[in-house]
Amino acid sequence: MEYEIVMGLEVHVELATKSKLFCACAAKFGAEANENVCPACAGMPGMLPVINKRAVELGIVAGLVTNCEITRTISFDKKNYFYPDLPTGYQITQLYAPICRNGFVDIETEAGNKRIRIKQIHIEEDAGKLVHDYRPDSSLVDFNRASVPLIEIVSEPDFRSSDEVVAYLEKLRSLLTFADVSDCKMQEGSMRCDVNISVRKVGSDILGTRTEIKNMNSLKAIARAIEFESQRHISALETGCEELVQETRRWDDNKGETYSMRDKEDATDYRYFPNPEILPVHISDEWISEIKDSLPELAHEKYDRLTGCYGLSDYDSKLITSGKNISDIFDRTLEFVDNPKEVANWIIGDLASIAREENKSYDEIEIDCEKFGKIIKMVENKVINRTIGKKVLQLLFRDNIDPESYVRENKLGMITDAGYLENVIKEVLAENEKSVLEYKAGNQKVISFFVGRIMRKTQGKADPGSVNSILRRELNDWN
Amino acid sequence: MDLQTVLEYEAMVKLDLPESERIWIAEKASMLEDSFSELSKVDTEGIEPLISVLDLNYTLREDIPIKSISREEILSNSPEQCDGYFQVPKTIE
Amino acid sequence: MKKEFFITRYDVKAENSFALDDNIMVKDGLTTGGSKMLHNFVSPLQATVVEKLLDAGMELAGKTKLDEFTAPGIAAETCDILSGAVGAVSEGACKIALCNDVSGKIRRQAPENGLYYIHPTYGTVSRFGLIPTVSSMDQIGIVCKNIDDGFNALGIITGHDEKDVTTFPQKSYAYTPKEGGFKIGIPSNVMELTDEKGRKAIYNFTGKYDTEETELKYFEVFAQVMYILSSAEIGNNTSRYDGVKFGYRTENYTGLNDLYTKTRTEGFGLDMKLLSIMGAHVLSRQNYEAYYLKSMKIRRLIKEHAIDLFSRYDAIALPLKLNDPDPYKNSALYAFATLCGLPSVSVPLGSDGGIQLISQVKNENSLFGICKGGR
Ligand SMILES: [Zn+2]
Repeated sequence: MEYEIVMGLEVHVELATKSKLFCACAAKFGAEANENVCPACAGMPGMLPVINKRAVELGIVAGLVTNCEITRTISFDKKNYFYPDLPTGYQITQLYAPICRNGFVDIETEAGNKRIRIKQIHIEEDAGKLVHDYRPDSSLVDFNRASVPLIEIVSEPDFRSSDEVVAYLEKLRSLLTFADVSDCKMQEGSMRCDVNISVRKVGSDILGTRTEIKNMNSLKAIARAIEFESQRHISALETGCEELVQETRRWDDNKGETYSMRDKEDATDYRYFPNPEILPVHISDEWISEIKDSLPELAHEKYDRLTGCYGLSDYDSKLITSGKNISDIFDRTLEFVDNPKEVANWIIGDLASIAREENKSYDEIEIDCEKFGKIIKMVENKVINRTIGKKVLQLLFRDNIDPESYVRENKLGMITDAGYLENVIKEVLAENEKSVLEYKAGNQKVISFFVGRIMRKTQGKADPGSVNSILRRELNDWN
Repeated sequence: MDLQTVLEYEAMVKLDLPESERIWIAEKASMLEDSFSELSKVDTEGIEPLISVLDLNYTLREDIPIKSISREEILSNSPEQCDGYFQVPKTIE
Repeated sequence: MKKEFFITRYDVKAENSFALDDNIMVKDGLTTGGSKMLHNFVSPLQATVVEKLLDAGMELAGKTKLDEFTAPGIAAETCDILSGAVGAVSEGACKIALCNDVSGKIRRQAPENGLYYIHPTYGTVSRFGLIPTVSSMDQIGIVCKNIDDGFNALGIITGHDEKDVTTFPQKSYAYTPKEGGFKIGIPSNVMELTDEKGRKAIYNFTGKYDTEETELKYFEVFAQVMYILSSAEIGNNTSRYDGVKFGYRTENYTGLNDLYTKTRTEGFGLDMKLLSIMGAHVLSRQNYEAYYLKSMKIRRLIKEHAIDLFSRYDAIALPLKLNDPDPYKNSALYAFATLCGLPSVSVPLGSDGGIQLISQVKNENSLFGICKGGR
C-alpha cells in the first residue's frame, strides 16, 4: 500500500526589533538572566501594554513578502494558561483579527515547483526561558525573552515531503532575513517550527490521525523528525501495533525519535478573549505603501541585479544571494571597491575558503568590509600580490588586523624591481639545472616549479607578471 | 452548576477549594447562571461586540529600548530566587 | 471601638492630603490590593495619579482598606464592610481619597456617609500604577466631602499619559460648574424597583429641575452583563498571582501544580474564587458565545442607548439602592456608568441618603453644575 504524508507548518519567527512587543525592555539575545525585564514583562500589576510600532511594521513586511492580504484593523487577544515561563498567566496573541491572511510562498525542490499556501500570520509575545539543568530540584526562570515579539506563520496542509518542508523553511528564511524581519537563527530559537503531520492512503481524501512535532532546532532535525514520525504513522496503520492519538510530540535529536509530551494539549481550554487593554490598531493604505516603498531588496531581486547589472555568472550570483550575511558583505564591500566581479571573486574564492578553514558558515562570517575592500584594492593597484592578499585577508578574518599598516610593517609590498627579480631568477635556475634541461627538452610544466621557488625566495612578494616574463626570457636565453 | 463542574474549573484556574467553599460557589454559580438566561431575551442580531468603550486613535510606541529597573529590584519581590533567576519546583522530570 | 480605615498611614496634616486605596501604587511602598496574595508586595513604580497629586503639592495621608482587588463581591460579609476610602474621608483623616470603584460599593457608601464620589469618564484618568481589576471598566475616582475639592483634584489627575495609551489625547482638563439649563431624565423602570426612601431622594432632589420620565433600557440584564464581563477580566487579571514572581507563596508544596494551587487557594478570598471560576466558565469554549460574546454585544447596545439618552438629557438620576437588598441585583444601578465609561457623581442628601447623577462622556461639568445648585 502506498501512503502519502500530509503536513502543515507553524513557524515562529522572532521579530528583529530593538525593544519588546508591549514594554520598552531591550529585546536583544544573550543578556544575563532577567537583565532585560521590567515590572510589565515580569507580570507585575499596574503597567499597561503599549504596542511597539516596529513590530507591527515587521508583521506587515512579513505579509508583503509572502503575498498575504494585510488586515486593516488588527486586534489582540488574551490566551490563558499557567506556566512559569508565562509571567502574567496569559499570552497576548491574535486570534480574531491576525495581521495577515491568505498568502503563499513558491518553493523549488527536485520534484519541481510548488506553491505553499499561507493561512495566516499573527503577532504574539514570546514566553520566558526555563533552565532545568542548573539546580537538581528546581527550574529557574528568566524573563528576558518574555514579551519579545514573534510572528507565527501558519501554512495550509500543503506539504507532502520533508524536502518540501526544508525548501519552504529555506525560502522563508531568505525572504524574512533579506526583508530584515528576523535573523531566523534556528539554533538561537529565533526561528522555530512545529510540524502537523498525518498520513493517508494515496488517492484517499480521509486524513489520518494528526500529531504535532515540536522541538527541532535545525533543518536536518526537522527532516529526520518528519521521516521518523511518518514511518511511525505508517507502521501503526499497517501493523496495528500502536494506536495513533492526536497529540503533541517532542523530537529527541540524540535518540532520533519523537516521544509523547503526555499533556492533554487538545483538551486545554485557553479561554481566549479580546484584550480590552489594547485598542484595535488601524493599518492605513498610506502606511502599507510607505512600508512597501522602503522594503529592502529581496534575494531574487538581488540575483537579478547581480546577473543583469554586474554580469556575474548564475553560479556566483546564486551563491552571493544564498544568505543575507554573505550578500550584505558583498554590497558593503562594493561601497569601497567599485568592481563587482572582483569583489565576487574574492568572496567566492578566498573569503569562502577561509571561512571553511575556520569552520564558519556563511552566516557566521564577520568581517570589516572597509578593510576587506582595502585588501582588494591593494592587489588591484599592485601594492601587494594576490597570494599576499589572501594571507592578509586570513589575518583580517581571524584578528581584524589593519591591512595597510600590516603590509607596511611587515614589508609585504610587491617586488617589481626587474633587476632584483632577474638576480633571484638566475639564482633559482642555477640551483636547478636539471629542471632547466627538462624545460629545454619541451616540458612546460616545470615553469610552475620555478615560480614556486622564486616566490619562496621573495617571501611570496614578487610581482607574478614580472616573474613570468623574466623567467621565460632567462630560460630561453639559457645555454 | 454542580460540584463536579466546579471541580473542573478549579483545576483550570489552579484552585483546590475546601468542601464548604465548593458548595457555596456551586450554589452562587447556579444562581448566577440562572440569571444569565435573561441575556437570550436581548436581540443582538448583527451587533458588533464592544471590547472597549474608548473610541480613540491608539498610539503605538517607537522601537527604542529603555532600561527601567534593575534586576535586583525585579527580583526583590520574589519568594524564591537563585543567581538572578526566579525559582520554581522542577517543571520536567 | 474606633475603626481603622488605613493599611498604611503617614503623619501629615489632613487639610491638604489625599489617601489612596491600597491598589494604587506608590513607589517603594507596600501595595497589597487588599489581598493576602500581595501581602508583602513592594511596588516598583509610582502611579501617575500619585505623581500628579504630589507635584501639585498635596501630601499622601496613607493607603486605605479595600475589598480584595476591589472586585464586585456578592458574599454578604464583604458588601457591608465600610470602604476604607469613605471611612478615611468621613473621619477627616484626609481631604480626598482615590479609589477604583468597579462594583459601585463606594458610589453607594459615599453619599450614605455624607460624601460625594466622582466617577470620571473612562479614559480621562491614567490607570498606570493601578492594580487592574476589570481593565475595560477600571477608573480611578475621588471620594470628597466638598465637591469643589473633588473637582479640583480631578483637574490635577486627569489628562493624557503616554504610559497609558488608553487615555484620551487631551493633555489636561479644567472643571468648572456649568451654569444651568439642565434637563434630568428619571428612568421609571428603575424607580419601580426602588424603595420609598430612594424615590423620595430622587424626587426631592430633582424637584427644581426640568425633569422627564424615561426608560433605562436593558436594565434587567445590567447585573448579568457586568458580572460576566468583570468575572472574565478579573479571573484573567489575577492569574498572574501564582507564587512565582512576587507576593504570597504557600509554605509547603510538592511540585509546581501544588505550588500554584495551594498558593491561590490560600491567597484568595471567597468572592475572588467565585469570580475566577465564573470567569473560566463564561470564557470556556461552550459558553463563550452565549455569555461572553453576547455580553459584549449587549454592552454595545447599552452604549448606543446611552448616546441616545444623553442627546435628550444632561443627566440621568438613579437611586443608590433597590427594594431588593441582593447585592448582585443592586450592582445593576452602578453598571450603567461603569459599562459605558460614563462620568457620574454620587450626591449626599442628608436624611434622604443620596442619589447618583450620570452624564455623557466628558460632561463632568454638567454634573459639577448640578451639584453646585445650578438649575
Ligand atoms: Zn519589560
